[in-house]
Amino acid sequence: MEALLGSLEQLALIKALKTSFFAYPIVNALHILAIGALVTAVLLMDLRVIGVIRSLDEQPFVRLLRRVALWAFALAVLTGALMFAVRATEYAGMPLFWIKMGLIGLAGVNFVAFSLLRQPSAKRVLAGVSITLWPLVLLAGRFLGFVL
Amino acid sequence: MRRLRVVLLAAALAIAAPVLPALAHHGWAWTEDGFFELTGIVKEVFVGNAHATLDLEVEGVVWRVELAPPGPTMAAGFTEDTVKPGDEVVALGNRSLDPNEKRMKAVRITTGGKAYDIYPARVPAN
Repeated sequence: MEALLGSLEQLALIKALKTSFFAYPIVNALHILAIGALVTAVLLMDLRVIGVIRSLDEQPFVRLLRRVALWAFALAVLTGALMFAVRATEYAGMPLFWIKMGLIGLAGVNFVAFSLLRQPSAKRVLAGVSITLWPLVLLAGRFLGFVL
Repeated sequence: MRRLRVVLLAAALAIAAPVLPALAHHGWAWTEDGFFELTGIVKEVFVGNAHATLDLEVEGVVWRVELAPPGPTMAAGFTEDTVKPGDEVVALGNRSLDPNEKRMKAVRITTGGKAYDIYPARVPAN
């Protein structure tokens, strides 16, 4: 594991990113953009499912926002992986990093369960779980930058 | 709509409130005003984004010495090749306000008889 993380840090692209003046802040900014889009889409979807937002039809609204959320998540994973790789060993040794990954994992399980369930009352509960989990992921991620 | 506004405002406050004190770790607000000097043995050096760090062992305790982002750190002449584990280093700077936290932010690193001014404008007059 240690060797794998070390070799990740030694990749030419990652070494360039490590001391770059422009690239790293741009990757960082794209990560923030992705998180903003993801959390916004998720919260709006959840509020629609729960019934706080009623002015728009649920199906087209959720279909659109789900697409936004999935693309935003993909961008967040890509940019996050790049920043992780710059200091892979350090991040992998931080409990907070694994708390964040665990929260994302829980949110993923919640998403799958939501997709499988049919009962509106159960879906509302899972939307409530989602509305709690994603801001916690954001919070854990933000704190990572301050404990390094 | 009013209910939505209340929910969103509460969510925003819940997210923002715990983050605010942590913002102190950028800049110098989290450090003591007076200067602090730490002499230790290099455990690990990282000169890269988002900011460079130096881990120094002092009497069996590892301190995290924060430097500048890689640009200014390297402009001061300090790179990852400047020191290696086992080297003795003197870090001059400001330590954390929290006395239990083994962490400081350096303005000058001295090693091998040479001084590297990481934050030249903050180095006290000789």
